[in-house]
Amino acid sequence: MEKQEQQGMVEVVADKIWKFFSSVKLAVVLLIILAVVSVIGTVIQQNQAPEEYLKEYSLTTIQLFENLGFFDLYHTWWFVLLLLLFTANLTICTLERFPYAWKAMRAPLKPLEDDGFKAVPFKKEIVVKGGMEAAETTALKALHGKRYSHQLTKEQGMTHLAAQKGAYSRMGVYVTHLSIILIFVGALIGAFFGFKGFLNLPEGEASSVVYLRNEPLWDQIMDGFGISKSPVIHDPRGGVPAMPLGFYVRTDDFEVDYYANAGRPTGMPSEFWSLLSVYDLRQQKVLEKRIRVNDPLTRNGITFYQSSYGTIPNAVGKIVLNVNQKNSPGPGETIVVMPGSSVYVKSIDRTIKAVGMAPFGMRDPATGQVQYYQARNEELINPTVELEVYRGKSLAYRTQVMKVDSGEPSMPENYRISYIDYWGARYTGLQVTKDPGVWIVYAGFILLCVGPLVAFFGSHRKLWVRIQERKGQAAVLVGGSSNRNRIAFEREFNSIVETIAK
Amino acid sequence: MDSAQLFTFATIAYLAAMVLYISYLVFRKEGVGKAASFTTYAGLALQTVALAMRWIESYQMGIGRAPLSNLYESLVFFTWCTVLIYVIVEWKYKIRAFGAFVMPVAFLALAFINVAGISTDISPLVPALKSNWLFYHVLLSFISYATFGVAFAVSLIYLLQDTDERGSSVNLFAALGIFALLVVLGYVLTASGMKVPFWIGLGVLAVAWFTYLVMKGALNKPLVYLFITLCSTLALGLLVFMGIDYLVFSMQGQPAGEGFRKHMFESTFISRSIPVVAVSWAALFSLFALIWSQGLRIKALLKQFMPAQDILDDLTYRLIAFGWPLFTAGGLVMGAIWANSAWGTYWGWDPKETWSLITWFIYSIYLHGRYVRGWRGTQTTIISLIGFLSVIFTYLGVNLVLSGLHSYGGMN
Repeated sequence: MEKQEQQGMVEVVADKIWKFFSSVKLAVVLLIILAVVSVIGTVIQQNQAPEEYLKEYSLTTIQLFENLGFFDLYHTWWFVLLLLLFTANLTICTLERFPYAWKAMRAPLKPLEDDGFKAVPFKKEIVVKGGMEAAETTALKALHGKRYSHQLTKEQGMTHLAAQKGAYSRMGVYVTHLSIILIFVGALIGAFFGFKGFLNLPEGEASSVVYLRNEPLWDQIMDGFGISKSPVIHDPRGGVPAMPLGFYVRTDDFEVDYYANAGRPTGMPSEFWSLLSVYDLRQQKVLEKRIRVNDPLTRNGITFYQSSYGTIPNAVGKIVLNVNQKNSPGPGETIVVMPGSSVYVKSIDRTIKAVGMAPFGMRDPATGQVQYYQARNEELINPTVELEVYRGKSLAYRTQVMKVDSGEPSMPENYRISYIDYWGARYTGLQVTKDPGVWIVYAGFILLCVGPLVAFFGSHRKLWVRIQERKGQAAVLVGGSSNRNRIAFEREFNSIVETIAK
Repeated sequence: MDSAQLFTFATIAYLAAMVLYISYLVFRKEGVGKAASFTTYAGLALQTVALAMRWIESYQMGIGRAPLSNLYESLVFFTWCTVLIYVIVEWKYKIRAFGAFVMPVAFLALAFINVAGISTDISPLVPALKSNWLFYHVLLSFISYATFGVAFAVSLIYLLQDTDERGSSVNLFAALGIFALLVVLGYVLTASGMKVPFWIGLGVLAVAWFTYLVMKGALNKPLVYLFITLCSTLALGLLVFMGIDYLVFSMQGQPAGEGFRKHMFESTFISRSIPVVAVSWAALFSLFALIWSQGLRIKALLKQFMPAQDILDDLTYRLIAFGWPLFTAGGLVMGAIWANSAWGTYWGWDPKETWSLITWFIYSIYLHGRYVRGWRGTQTTIISLIGFLSVIFTYLGVNLVLSGLHSYGGMN
């Protein structure tokens, strides 16, 4: 008696916990709680600056929300705990039911006895002329026509056919559950070993660090316990912590293309891209890629995404021009000049002076006059350069060149000057992430697409055919069952019965 | 003729079909039903041509993209999917009366474009949207939304048949009393600067009530009756009052759109004149009482026409079982993969993402609820209703009310 009770204590508790986690009701309750709690984080803006919150809420409300973690709700310990409970529930539910589903899927086909025929939801008896052999052939043909696999057993005067298809669809629900577990595990790995950061890198500059939005949890924990030092560099003045990359990344070039309306740039970006180079710590170039939105660069598991751009305040860039003989097939000569200064170009024996540079100029195609427009945030929508060309010391002519020209710049001499770039006054905004868990998440995504399709669009269908000799003819009894989508199965069942009856 | 004109004709066809389906329900003339179906087919055909033309027009303009990338186009596509799925259901189940519930959804979605002044321009895409994922993500999302929409209509019919008992009129007065109390509380708290806590409180209350209905609703028929009455009142009332706003706005000669949205309900519920506010609420309360008293009659009318509840329950399940995998793959997974390739984060808890997850939770509850003992029928049907409300909020509410990454899905 006593022994039983002692054993019972542990067992009862373990059993209770297992039972608690294996109920569908808990899953439903957790889903409801998750849904409701998630709403809060969409109503209250997340991770805003304190000033923003002060505009909307009173101080006491802010205090209350802060304590509850409502300003960063999806990363609070209790929300993560909810997700953990949900995953535990999912795992145990799956473990609890999977063996039965596996058995049902692998169960060998068995002929159905009379009692069995009484229990199946669909059955029909028909008489087929031409004897048992003929009935057996047509029945097999009908089953194969609908892609059933079968098993044939013969008794005296009786032939049993047991057939099934779509047994695999019983696995759909478990594939779905597994996918969610995988996604959760992948997300945890990402949080522990990955980071998210950003880098605003001016044209022509290189960096060996990125600035972090969140530090890898593993590094924080190891550092906290004093086991190993976190590689993250903390600014003693409270600036943004930086993560060393182990290589240099450099912006060689940055460009924005704008949508044009009737040949004129509209100021709405159609595409922006950066030419990035990666150098190892010995300053050897190892990689180069032009990245665009939706097309990033990856090095050592660290990925750089094109996310934004901007003009560096008060920065002066270099004007890059091309000088080429008219009607010349050659590439011509590239020259670089600072705004306000001049450069002597030997090939044409002229001195070119860049008088000024404007971010948004536009030429009237009819008059050839150039008009200047205000560009938002000093954006280089259509950079336009005013040039003076000198023969020796004397001014030969003035002209303007621009990125997208809707007319013809005045080029009175036998060469042409064209605009290439205004370089070094802009930065490219990069999102930088390292996420070693992303492949597990992607594996989960694939299963999450496949699982529900298998579960809801497939069904495990079983058919039994019993053929009996009756006065020289064959009496055929057909029975069938399906675990899902009965209406479609009924149609198939009737069609098979018809085929056999013919 | 351009696509915009064709869309207008399609809208008119859907309006006509809606009227015809409702007349069919009331007068029970087979000819009317046939006319309703035919008008629907015609509207669908017109809209199909219009969609194709808009696609071609975008190429002619040198932009060249599928007509799926702003709010206007998505509303049009949503309507198209909804009507298509409805036509399939009507054809398979041979039941026309569903139309009286589905066509209003289609018509209102199209009317919303005009009322809210949504821009119909074919505008070029911002760089983040230039991805092959856009097409599949939006396509699958909207097919699933439309499926959920039809499931919503079917669930509504199911619940209307569920209204066997409405209980004594004490229920009505109690409900009106609580309603009035909440209204007064709302005004008082808003005036004292506690608008947000009030709405959060109201939300919690609504969720509590929903949960109670789902858990125990089947045992308390009068409460289910009240629930349906309240939902119909709010749906009908909001439409009428928004219509009044729209009329007042048009009479003042102000353009629809931005101004209209910002000043919503200023000519009724939040008017400066207290008598106007009082009359508005009185009208809404009267509507509530009217629907409460006439509900059983509507139900009796429906019962002669509508299939049995178990068929409706099964149909709801099939629609959701069809839509949920598509929503999972197209809405959630493809969205996440796209976000990861564009921003390096597959999940950022942005309001749009979160709301689509909430929608996913709700339909997951629906699918699992069927395996909880005694949950078939009324309970799961209520979940299906809530699910579609969440779909609407994910789709429109987030863009109009909240802000986030998908803000380019906005009005203009």
